Amino acid sequence: MSVELSFTVNGEPAEVRVEPDARLVDVLRDALGLLGTKEGCGNGECGACTVIVNGRAVCSCLTPALEVEGVDVLTVEGLAGPGAELSDLQQAFVERGGIQCGFCTPGMVMSAHSLLQRNDSPSEGEIRNALTGNLCRCTGYAQIIESVQDAASRLRAKAGKGGGHG
Amino acid sequence: MSSTLEYLRPRTLIEAWELAASRPGARFIAGGTDLMVRMREGNVQAPALISLRHIHELTQIDVGPPLVLGAGVNVSDLQANRDVARVLPVLVEATRTLGSVQIRNAATIGGNLCNASPCADLAPPLLVHEARVRLESAGGMRELPLEDFFVGPRASVLRPGEVLRAIVVDASPNGRAVFLKKGRVQMDIALGSVAVLLETRGLACVRARVAAGSLGPKPMRLREVEKTLEGATLDDRTIALAGQAAERDVRPISDVRASADYRRHLAGALLERGVRALINGGRT
Repeated sequence: MSVELSFTVNGEPAEVRVEPDARLVDVLRDALGLLGTKEGCGNGECGACTVIVNGRAVCSCLTPALEVEGVDVLTVEGLAGPGAELSDLQQAFVERGGIQCGFCTPGMVMSAHSLLQRNDSPSEGEIRNALTGNLCRCTGYAQIIESVQDAASRLRAKAGKGGGHG
Repeated sequence: MSSTLEYLRPRTLIEAWELAASRPGARFIAGGTDLMVRMREGNVQAPALISLRHIHELTQIDVGPPLVLGAGVNVSDLQANRDVARVLPVLVEATRTLGSVQIRNAATIGGNLCNASPCADLAPPLLVHEARVRLESAGGMRELPLEDFFVGPRASVLRPGEVLRAIVVDASPNGRAVFLKKGRVQMDIALGSVAVLLETRGLACVRARVAAGSLGPKPMRLREVEKTLEGATLDDRTIALAGQAAERDVRPISDVRASADYRRHLAGALLERGVRALINGGRT
């Protein structure tokens, strides 16, 4: 018995029919074809499905779809600019080798994006803390953290706060 | 496939109770960080889910005294709340160890308790403060000690249609408390956790409250430890005795995360570390 769900995803209105117990990750991937959001563990431990709901990073595998009625959802597809140019954060992941197999990357990027929205000069500890809920099984996390630091300095440079690592 | 036919989002408690009364077997859902997983695994089935996320009455905080925390208060919000940090610092300390950012952004204090998991991170800090819980249904409200709320693993005294409305904590002006948790990595479920509250005069212990998580079938007070500490001088001998009492007080199991023996050892070690931290001014 599906029901109507309307919300905003990456700034665009979305209207879909969903089962009452559908999860947000399924709506994003299956109904809307937004395959950037990955499902890893399905129980909130790996963070591959991280999206931003009302400004907060959450696991879309734990979010009941009907809880986003009328709400703004940001997925990794929403980070790039209008001409599909990568965001500073995405570009930093590419240049710093913050990606190996890439499966965890959308979630990593969304958690890091959420951090940088609140804090453009995070310490290494703050970055590690923000990424606690995102597992990467390829890397040792060092390049991921460097990517976030690099992105932070790009953002600060744009905001006129000068470059350099914090 | 799906057995859940309705997802309901009431705006008031009265509406929530009405929905629950007309839908036998319906489950209340708050952050969903546990229930969503259990439903997907097939361990919980509910013909209807009644979301408590949109009920304003459940998200109120009154710093009091007494401190009254709405059960629907989100864990990230609790972590950032300076008023609560001032009157109940140990609770805010515990929020930092609860899961990851994503989990805290969804989870609620009430969900952490109603889930009635032995490892609920917010339970030991509230137990040492002798928190009470307000349970409310269409039939009325009752208030009882948090300690009596937990029955066993995933079991509480909540009746069908009853909602945990708020957690109430009296000020403990002279007591200082710490929460120590051991997990494999930072965001893990606790292998064991201990909260200690001490009221001291010099090295004399006037009052002690000790609680443990993941070290028995439910979050629980460690009364033998409390008796060992109260009235004693907090010297090495007392602390060692209290550590031994902790090992006797707990009722751990062996599971995939740790053996019962390890957990018993952990109980003593965390207790001793907690007491010493409080003597040294709260530094862990």
